[in-house]
Amino acid sequence: MLEIEKLTVEVGAFRLRDVSLKVARGECHAVLGPSGAGKSTLLKAILGVLRPLGGSLRIAGDDVADAPIERRGLGYVPQNLGLFPHLTVRDNLAYSARARGLPPKEFQPVLDELVAATGIGALLERYPAALSGGERQRVGLVRALAGRPRALLLDEPFASLNESLRRELWWLLHELQRERELTVLLVTHDLAEAYFLAERVAVLFDGRVVQQGEKAEVYGRPAAPGVAEFLGVETLQPGRIVGARDGLAVVQVGTAELTALAASGCANEVLVSIRGEEVVLDRGGGPTSARNVLAARVVTVRPGRPLVCVELDAGFPLVALVARPACEELDLRPGVAVTARVKAPSVRLIPRENSVEDAGAAPRPSPPR
Amino acid sequence: MRLSLWTATSAALLALLLGAPAAYALSRYRFPGREIADTLLELPIIVSPAALGAMLLMFFNHPLGVWIENHIARFVFTVAGIVLAQFVTVLGVAVRMLKAAFDEAPVELETVARTLGATPRYAWRTVTLPLERRGLIAAFILAWAKAFGEFGATIRIGGTMAMRTETLPVAVYLRLAGADIEGTVALILLVVIGLAALFATRKLLGTAFRA
Repeated sequence: MLEIEKLTVEVGAFRLRDVSLKVARGECHAVLGPSGAGKSTLLKAILGVLRPLGGSLRIAGDDVADAPIERRGLGYVPQNLGLFPHLTVRDNLAYSARARGLPPKEFQPVLDELVAATGIGALLERYPAALSGGERQRVGLVRALAGRPRALLLDEPFASLNESLRRELWWLLHELQRERELTVLLVTHDLAEAYFLAERVAVLFDGRVVQQGEKAEVYGRPAAPGVAEFLGVETLQPGRIVGARDGLAVVQVGTAELTALAASGCANEVLVSIRGEEVVLDRGGGPTSARNVLAARVVTVRPGRPLVCVELDAGFPLVALVARPACEELDLRPGVAVTARVKAPSVRLIPRENSVEDAGAAPRPSPPR
Repeated sequence: MRLSLWTATSAALLALLLGAPAAYALSRYRFPGREIADTLLELPIIVSPAALGAMLLMFFNHPLGVWIENHIARFVFTVAGIVLAQFVTVLGVAVRMLKAAFDEAPVELETVARTLGATPRYAWRTVTLPLERRGLIAAFILAWAKAFGEFGATIRIGGTMAMRTETLPVAVYLRLAGADIEGTVALILLVVIGLAALFATRKLLGTAFRA
């Protein structure tokens, strides 16, 4: 549906370089990246606010690189929602139809249906200033959808909301997207939001897409140390491949040896990445299928929501995320000896020489089987 | 008085009509010669009105000016000349104020309007203009008050023809020169009108619409 190929955009000294993305029809694709990575610049180029220096941009097969904003068929919800403060909710929602000169009978049924689906019927005569944060989000979404866009671009639209409201709106958007097969490009720096809403994820660093793919693959297999840090991998330690055993790589990390899936194209010097939720703790030595069974000592226990963060010394600093009841049952506190179990596929190896700069072009380790 | 009201209103309206697109372009776009255009528009604010009037007079002595006088409209010693002189003097102020108003209008709202199918003109008319209505009115009031009290350029291009090109400030000048008490009264009226305009502007800007 939305195909971007080698898009290059320059804004002052900043340059978005050779960005390629494909968003399939009915898919939600997230673009993740830290502040200043170029996420909003990318959106502006797709919208037509910024003129690209090169590359192509297709929407539903049409080349729209030179089309004005209003002819691209894109819906847009910016971070501040962009509700027109001088118009009532009703007039905000009808803006698209009026701008296009559509008669009410053509747009009203669609609008009524959207208003009912999002529960904003009671707000129609209010001005945006009289709406709560969540109501504003709903109005912003409905207004963008009322124009029946070919794709919907969202620029961190839930950033200003509290946690519970944000989750409520994630569900709403998720339902709308699924029911109406909306094609959505979501720009965010919120990992949880991207993971919840998107099927595919692209990571943007310093104007370049450094990794993209299925969300589980990107989260689980960061292509560069910088990406892993950004994606919040809890344990990221330097290691060295010292041998092979049963087709698996043996990696020295600190004073411990870990077994990981062999990675092709990986030099000996690696970064070992382990997600906190993939570390299982217990106090005994029962049977396990995990390849890595590490004697560890609890260093700190930091309560968090929804999981407790347990920092361990397992011959190297290792972080485990544990549910609160499990934490209480195991009586986890500083100084306590525990056993940490990590399966070999959960120990991911990132070539240490991979900088974020060359991550996009670097050979990728073979996927786990 | 009537002449002053008429010329000041015409000059302020002209300044608004021609100044708004210029101010919008200066506020929204980066283009070659932008700095030069900005400086040129600032010139009438810093150059003495008397010098501006003199420049206009010199222009109408130039072959192009003479051609305009002969083929389009007469400006020297006419009411049209007064409007032109006042327009030139207030254009800079009007553009400054309009630009400030457009700078405040969120560009993103125009982008959103366009993603909703609005052409640039429709977006400007239905979003930017209503949101900056107070800024536009304030710019008009200030331009009008400045035009109403304009003297230096007006007297040079309009002259002092009684009942024909005699605006209120020119009349004040003439009456004061003749130690006429009516001149003093008119002067007070001018100051009162100016103060009222400034007060109205401040009130409008102070309560400007905020998103």
